[in-house]
Amino acid sequence: MSKKLNVKIKAIGLLDLLAFKKLVPNRKKKFEEAPATEIRKTPPMNELAAKLHPKHQKFTITDVVELTSSMKQFELSSDTAAYFRAGQYVSVKLDINGHKVTRPYSIMSSPKAALSGKYMLGVKKADDGFVTEYIFDNWKEGTVIETSGPEGNFYYEDIRDAKTIIGIAGGCGITPFFSMAQAIRDGIEDFNLCLLYGCKTLNDIALRKELDVIAQTDSRVKVVYVLSDEKKEGYEHGFITADVIKKYAGDEPYSIFMCGPQVMYDFISKEIAKLGLEKKYVRRELYGQINNVEKYEGFPKDKVGKKYKLTIHMGQNTTITEALSTESILVAVERAKIKAPSLCRTGECGCCRSRLIAGDVFIVEDTDGRRMADKKFGYVHICSSFPLSDLEIEIPVE
Amino acid sequence: MSERTYDVVVIGAGNGGLAAAATTAQKGMKTLLIEQHTLPGGYASSFVRGRFEFEPSLHELCDVGKEGEWGACGTFFKDLGLDIEWVPVPEAYRMVITDKDEKLDVKMPFGLNEYIDKMEEYVPGSRESVTNFFDLCQEVLDAIGYLGASKGNPDKKVLTSKYSNFLKTASYSVDQVEKALKIPKKARDILNAYWCYLGTDTEKLGFTIYGAMMIKFLLLGAYIPKMRSHEISLAFEKAIRDFGGDVIYGTKVEKILVENGSVVGVTTDKGEKINTKHVICNAPRHVAFGNMVEGADEIKEKANREFNSRKVGGKGYVAYFGLNKTAKELGLTDYSYFIYPTVDNKKLYNSMFERGNNPMQAIVCLNNAIPDCSPPGTSMLTVTTLYKDGAWDDVNETNYVQVKNKIAKDIVRNIESALNVKISDAIEEYSVASPQTFARYACAYDGSIYGYESETWDSLLPRLLMMKDDLYINGLRFVGGFAFRCHGYSSGYMSGNTIGLLTYKDSLEEK
Repeated sequence: MSKKLNVKIKAIGLLDLLAFKKLVPNRKKKFEEAPATEIRKTPPMNELAAKLHPKHQKFTITDVVELTSSMKQFELSSDTAAYFRAGQYVSVKLDINGHKVTRPYSIMSSPKAALSGKYMLGVKKADDGFVTEYIFDNWKEGTVIETSGPEGNFYYEDIRDAKTIIGIAGGCGITPFFSMAQAIRDGIEDFNLCLLYGCKTLNDIALRKELDVIAQTDSRVKVVYVLSDEKKEGYEHGFITADVIKKYAGDEPYSIFMCGPQVMYDFISKEIAKLGLEKKYVRRELYGQINNVEKYEGFPKDKVGKKYKLTIHMGQNTTITEALSTESILVAVERAKIKAPSLCRTGECGCCRSRLIAGDVFIVEDTDGRRMADKKFGYVHICSSFPLSDLEIEIPVE
Repeated sequence: MSERTYDVVVIGAGNGGLAAAATTAQKGMKTLLIEQHTLPGGYASSFVRGRFEFEPSLHELCDVGKEGEWGACGTFFKDLGLDIEWVPVPEAYRMVITDKDEKLDVKMPFGLNEYIDKMEEYVPGSRESVTNFFDLCQEVLDAIGYLGASKGNPDKKVLTSKYSNFLKTASYSVDQVEKALKIPKKARDILNAYWCYLGTDTEKLGFTIYGAMMIKFLLLGAYIPKMRSHEISLAFEKAIRDFGGDVIYGTKVEKILVENGSVVGVTTDKGEKINTKHVICNAPRHVAFGNMVEGADEIKEKANREFNSRKVGGKGYVAYFGLNKTAKELGLTDYSYFIYPTVDNKKLYNSMFERGNNPMQAIVCLNNAIPDCSPPGTSMLTVTTLYKDGAWDDVNETNYVQVKNKIAKDIVRNIESALNVKISDAIEEYSVASPQTFARYACAYDGSIYGYESETWDSLLPRLLMMKDDLYINGLRFVGGFAFRCHGYSSGYMSGNTIGLLTYKDSLEEK
């Protein structure tokens, strides 16, 4: 560059070379003179992180209540239960005849109860659900179960959402909203929750008494029951439409949160489109495992019903099994009695992210939660990927 | 207990671990990389929220360069054949000082001459001293290169004849050197904007490391990967496998087994023992010595003293905003902003010990480098600040959310007033990486996203000169932010490269 410099530090030229020579002895001295006190193994930030985000939690079921003819409430107790945000879920880990499967269930209790080691889960018996059937048959007082830590992003954020949340609940989808309503009551959350709760008939409404009590005592919570198969005075009749939303939303800006079965999402999305809301004001809980992938656009018709060879590497073990084109790879892995990591089962959370070594898969675009670089380097979320050929995959050890 | 044998086991797939494993695998060593998380990269990753994919940590990667003028990292990546699409960062930084009396808003370009010219525009009369400063930085860079090439045994004559200014300044702080060069105060304030990348105020920060970083940024510019830093991490992982190395995730190394002062193997939480003579550790030295090393009690006291003499760098806090308007619509014109409440970085450093309502901020608007990094009509903004010991000690499980959201709200308010923009009503997605988040995903010690502070006495140079002294156990070497290269992305990668090569050299000598 320019001329040669002659840097003068403290104008003591030669001594500076000494200072250079002293760098090593100085550092040695610093080390030697420091106290030999033990290093804290788990410093405060790591301690709180472990409390907030345990990988596994063990609970004993301490109470079972029938909420409706097809829905049960389970009280889970432990010495410690991780604190959570109203709307989050835990992934329940089950061993059904050697098959290690998981299911996400929203925590329906208030975060406050977690401080005394309690969660409530609400489970609705699905028509073709072998897992819910197992739970209904086997979960009794005294049963010990394992769950993940609290997961998911279905919660209110005041920096992002409108102050009023229109909660659209269908069937079992009431559970996260029930937690939110209690969190508002308990002073943990502060927003207006207008709940549009869709059920078939009066008898299908779960937690009605509890919801009404909260709504009567806290002006921020409002509950509207919408019955599709029954006409009753004092209840909305039909489906939750754009008009119903407008009727109860009022004039203030609002965010829509929805939680329910896939058919509800598909219907409501069209209704919400009529409202002309910005995307940021519409949030949906996990879409749920896709059980009819052949009906989605782009799924090759000639692959329906095909069976493929699936080679699974996990740690040092390799297993070869069969996989059906219309079942996710995760389901095939669970059928093979392999314990694969999974949480959301919707392609979103990335817990089941695995390396696709060979083969082709189909992924419904809406449930493709992968990172860009994962696509580039051949990674898939096995819970939302369906085999279109023989496959070889590597699953991370849990 | 099953047993396997490897030439080298790398613990942790952070930047240093990935780089080290790729290096040893490329050299033909039978390499095993073990990572407890299910993803590689540590903070070099990405995450998806709604229709946005966020960059968790990388602001700009130093020392990459381009075809014809590769920097050290660029050369290393190219040599490994990493498949990464690099995008240049448009400007060095915009620095905004919000203090009423100190008000300053400058935008500094890359390119040495461009930078000096711009400085002269903002601070007339600064040209000569600032040119001298960079002249010195260049000498520092050359001297470090020479020290590296001499593998810790430099020829004193060469040092005194060719690198005398380096020798004279090497044991001083940034402030001391800048003052000696008579750089005007305002020019120093502008020059020191990058201090937060190293996390120690310029009164304590060693000059060599800062000078080397500055000149590299200005000469080579900075780059970011098209697909967030996750792309770098996966490119490394692929290279390791392609060179015949093994990578296992979801597995934690519990013990590093030592016999007679030398490494003999490791054990994992999956009940496996792996035999090896070489362990390259991406976990901090004190974590390895304190929790993992077994069979070398004689070093415990020394290791405790070493740790207690040092300070662990700042705890990370990053707020991520997915915005439903374009950067242009929002008035976010630049890629990299530093918004500081004052130019006095010592005051800023001290402010990190508490959670004030006006934290310093290092901001990136990714769309100003990669316009299509988010869907049409949207943009992303990432804001980083740092905290020191004590600042988060009152945080518990019930106030945690409130604490992190309050900081985010303060940050948004401060950005709006400093840059005269409105972003609060455009927030579609929002997430925070707190010190707990860094602890959760990357095992960050006390939430720190840096290594030990690079104060003058423990900066790059003294660490380089003492690499042999710091080798407490034969066959156990360290990479990453807590290792000899100090922290930062490029340092992490290059630490892995150097240690990989040294480990390879060790293995040759055994034969």
